[in-house]
Amino acid sequence: MALDHRRVPGPEESQAPLLYAAPGEAGTDAPGREAAALRPLLARAGLLSQAEGSAYVELAGGTKVLCAVRGPREAAEGRGRLLCEFRRAPFSVRGARPRPGPATAARERELGLALQEALAPAVRLARYPRARLELTALVLQDGGSALAAALSAAALALADAGVEMFDLVVGCGLCRAPGPGGAWLLQPSEAEERAAAARLTVALMPGLNQVAGLLGSGQGGPPESWAQAVRLGLEGCQRLYPVLRRSLLRAAERRAAEGPRAVGASA
Amino acid sequence: MAPPVRYCVPGERLCSLEEGAAGSGTYTRHGYVCAALAGCLVKTSEDGALPVVSVVRDAESQLLPDVGAIVTCKVCSINSRFAKVHILYIGSTPLKSAFRGTIRREDIRATEKDKVEVYKSFRPGDIVLAKVISLGDMQSNYLLSTAENELGVVVAHSEAGAQMVPISWCEMQCPRTHSKELRKVARVQPEFLQT
Repeated sequence: MALDHRRVPGPEESQAPLLYAAPGEAGTDAPGREAAALRPLLARAGLLSQAEGSAYVELAGGTKVLCAVRGPREAAEGRGRLLCEFRRAPFSVRGARPRPGPATAARERELGLALQEALAPAVRLARYPRARLELTALVLQDGGSALAAALSAAALALADAGVEMFDLVVGCGLCRAPGPGGAWLLQPSEAEERAAAARLTVALMPGLNQVAGLLGSGQGGPPESWAQAVRLGLEGCQRLYPVLRRSLLRAAERRAAEGPRAVGASA
Repeated sequence: MAPPVRYCVPGERLCSLEEGAAGSGTYTRHGYVCAALAGCLVKTSEDGALPVVSVVRDAESQLLPDVGAIVTCKVCSINSRFAKVHILYIGSTPLKSAFRGTIRREDIRATEKDKVEVYKSFRPGDIVLAKVISLGDMQSNYLLSTAENELGVVVAHSEAGAQMVPISWCEMQCPRTHSKELRKVARVQPEFLQT
C-alpha cells in the first residue's frame, strides 16, 4: 500500500504523557523540606576494569555520576598535569535532549575546569613529573547537584587509581529558593535547582579542613547570605565524608583480597 | 600474617612525627604523618629507630621513571646525534604506557666520548639497559645514559634476523651468518649467566 507522506502516521487515539508518569515523580520537591537535609548517597569505588581507577556516586532522587581515571601517561610538558573532562550523557536530563553544539560544549568545558581547579590542590602533582592524569566524569542522570556528585566521584576515582593525594575532596551542592527571603537548601533536586535564584557548589578537603573549590552563580542576596551558604555547604561535606571514606576502604579491602601479593607484603 | 590489617584513605592522620617516620605513600603535615594513598598500613620498626609508617597497595601501578632508575628500553630510531627509545620497564616493573626517552651521543659510553658514533652503538629494535640521568626540560623528554659497563645493548638481532651473541664490549656476532656487528654491549651480570 502506498504511503501518503502528507499525512501524520500517528495512532488514531492519543493520551497525555502525564498519565504514564510514575506516581510521586512530580511531588519530589516538597515545599516544606528541611534546608539542611541531605539526600542519601551511594558510593562505589573500583568498578570499571578498563580504567586505572573508577568510582560511581548516586544521590537518591536520581543523580548518577560515573568517574574514571587513566594515567599517568606521558605528557608533552614538563610538569605533572591533571586533565578533567565533564560530560553529560544525552539521556541524562528529563525532557528534550540537550542539543549538541558549541553552547553545550562550552558549559561542559566550564564544569570540567571547575572540577580540575577543585581537584588540583588535593593531588600531589609534584610526584608526577612529565606525566598527565586524565579524569572523565560522565553524568548518567542529572537529578540536581551533578557537579557536587562528580567532585566526590572524581576524588574517589583518583584515590582508587592509586594517585598520591593530600586528601579526598567532597562536593556539596546548594541552591537558594526564589523570593526575597529564600533559604539555602542543601543538595537540591533538579526541580529546585531549576527554580533557584542562586546556585553554589562547595568542595572541601575534610581531613585538612580546607576549601578546595567554590563555584556560585545567581542572585544570592546580601554577602552574609553567601557566607551562611558556604558554612552550610561545608557542614554538608563533613557529613558526607564518612560515606565516601567507607566506600574507599571497602574497595581497598576488596583489592587486597583479590591480590594475594598485597597480603604477603603486609604480613 | 598479622590478622588486623588497617586500611586507610588519603588525608587520614596516621600518627605524630614522634611516633613514626613517614615512609612511602605518606606525607607529613603539621607534625603528623598522613596517608597519601588508599591502601593498607604497614609499620616496619628497626630496633632502636623510629618505626617507618608507610601505605602500600598491591600493584605499583603508578610507577614513573625517576632520576637514577635503571630502565629497559627499545630503540625506535637513531640519527648521528642521538637515539630515540621507548622506555618499557623500570627495574623489573613493566610500564602500562611507554614513555619516550633520548640517549645522546655523548652519553653512550664513559670514555672517548668524542669518538662515539650512534650507528656503531645501537640499531633500531635493540633492547637496551640504561639509566635515567634527567627528566629533561620543556623541549626534550627523558634523557638516558649507557655510560657504564653494565649498561648498553642486551638483546640485538642481526640483519639475518637471528639473535646475536656478545663477543666483546663493542661487538656482537650472528650465530647464523657469523657476521660481526658493532654495538655498545652491556656486560652480562654474573647472576644472569646460565651455566
